[in-house]
Amino acid sequence: MIEVRSLRKAFRVPVREAGLFAALGSVFRRRYRTVVAVDDVSLSIERGERVGFLGPNGAGKTTTLKMLAGLLHPTSGTLTVDGHEPSRREPDYLRKIMLVLGQKQQLLWDLPPTDTFDLNAAIFDVPRDQYVRTRDELVELLDLGDVVKKPTRQLSLGERMKCELVAALIHRPKVLFLDEPTLGLDVTMQATLRTFVRRYNEQEGATLLLTSHYMEDVAALCPRVIVVDRGRVTYDGSREELARQVRPVKRVTLRLARAATAEEVEGALGEGVRVVTHDAAELGVEVDRANVGECVSRALSRLPVTDISVEDPPLEEIMRELFRETSAARLEADADATARVDADAEGAPDSGEDA
Amino acid sequence: MTRYARLLWVQLRASMLLAMQYRADFVLDGVVELFWASTTLLPFFVVFAARPVIGGWGRDEALVVVGCFIVLQGVLEGAVNPSLHGVVERVRNGTLDFVLLKPKDAQFLVSTARFSPWKCMNVVTGVVVFAVAFRGLGRPPSAAGVGIAAGMFACAIVVLYSVTTLVVSASFFVVRVDNLSFLFTAVFDAARWPATVFRGALRFVFTFVIPFAMMTTWPAEALLGGVDVRSMLLSAALAIGFAAVSRTVWLRALRSYASASS
Repeated sequence: MIEVRSLRKAFRVPVREAGLFAALGSVFRRRYRTVVAVDDVSLSIERGERVGFLGPNGAGKTTTLKMLAGLLHPTSGTLTVDGHEPSRREPDYLRKIMLVLGQKQQLLWDLPPTDTFDLNAAIFDVPRDQYVRTRDELVELLDLGDVVKKPTRQLSLGERMKCELVAALIHRPKVLFLDEPTLGLDVTMQATLRTFVRRYNEQEGATLLLTSHYMEDVAALCPRVIVVDRGRVTYDGSREELARQVRPVKRVTLRLARAATAEEVEGALGEGVRVVTHDAAELGVEVDRANVGECVSRALSRLPVTDISVEDPPLEEIMRELFRETSAARLEADADATARVDADAEGAPDSGEDA
Repeated sequence: MTRYARLLWVQLRASMLLAMQYRADFVLDGVVELFWASTTLLPFFVVFAARPVIGGWGRDEALVVVGCFIVLQGVLEGAVNPSLHGVVERVRNGTLDFVLLKPKDAQFLVSTARFSPWKCMNVVTGVVVFAVAFRGLGRPPSAAGVGIAAGMFACAIVVLYSVTTLVVSASFFVVRVDNLSFLFTAVFDAARWPATVFRGALRFVFTFVIPFAMMTTWPAEALLGGVDVRSMLLSAALAIGFAAVSRTVWLRALRSYASASS
């Protein structure tokens, strides 16, 4: 469905030092820096898959998503989505996809969302009866009711994002690119959107590529994750395998009949066990995957356990650890990039991009 | 084509809804437009109170040029500027993304995104000015003259739209084009006077570079029955030329769109 080979996107951005003289100097002699937002990304996604696209700020997630949606032209490499080359922006292709950007909105600000829905139905040539059916179904699934009849500027952030999703799905796309769709939403609203997106994926067989800084989104929606850092894919596989690679431990949560200290619990469970969370009678301990059985057995025999669960560490922690490992390398790379600054009196158009 | 017509209707409808969303604004906009349209005539009457003929044009004949200017100003401010100036903001904040994700021509979508319905008051005022001018001249325009003038008006609108598109396309490269836009609006004011008022370099500029002569003077001449075939052909050629150049520049500008940070 989605095939990406050796994808690269570089921007030339103007640079100058702070201060009046530097500003004056840049008027006559502009200096540019080449920023490589995406550097040799290759990936393949099957029809109907739900994939999480993860990485720290500036990793190249949004740039890749925008190239897949046809908004940006790749500097080099190839990408096809359902047989289409996105940068050609063929109408047939644009009818198959949607892109939701959590920080931008397409809803008409002063008019009710239903007017934006009407407009999108006309733009996508959706037949009237099909449009009404789709709109009513989506409005019901997202429990929007009369919200769609209020001017957009009067809606809460969560209501607006729900309406953004309806506006983007009016033409029933088969490929969903979601960039931070739950940004700024409360926990309940995040859960509602996740459930909705998952149901849409299952009902329509749609392919989903999601970027989010909320790991709960990825944990709830995406069995497969692709991690990018500094424009390169550093991991592509299942969530579980990622957890195994980055944190080869299991998280055992114990609920005890009485309060206990961390030292007491560590002493009871033996070597290689570490208490990571502690709240009176509830403790979270980490243990090597190979020793989980022994740890659980000791806990049950030596501690007054009333409840016990064994899970992978939260994805949030895994990603934090993964990105911490690469942050030092990132600082080094930034220093190299500064050295690559090239002076250019002619200058190319200024480009700004959040990678 | 039918699909684009349907889309145009939906966009027009949205603009009407927007104009009527706030009742007080709706009424106030109407009153303000009536006021502005009438002030357009003030400099004209001040000048012609001092001199009976300017650049070979009598008062009533020159009033036809003013009528053409008022109508064209209504088109510019009611149908061209609201949409195209919105592009500058879309480029700056990156919401042009949503236009480029649609399976329709992006230039059509942004050009029809917003209309200011109250600006049609200018068109009504222009028609009243025509009526007053031809009453003063003591004869109505010929049917052929009206037909030719309508054709030349269409060419003028194409040129006006193209020039605005060129100004807006600059926003893809330099982000802020407000000053360029204000400059064009200020220079456009010169179109209220017959082209023969201007001499030397200014006449050349207003005929070929920013062709105000073909926008207001030539349609007025057509209504007055004095336009020649050369002007008609030149009018059509300018419309085609400007449309081709603006389309080329727009497509090139789109390719350099970097989509602002999300």
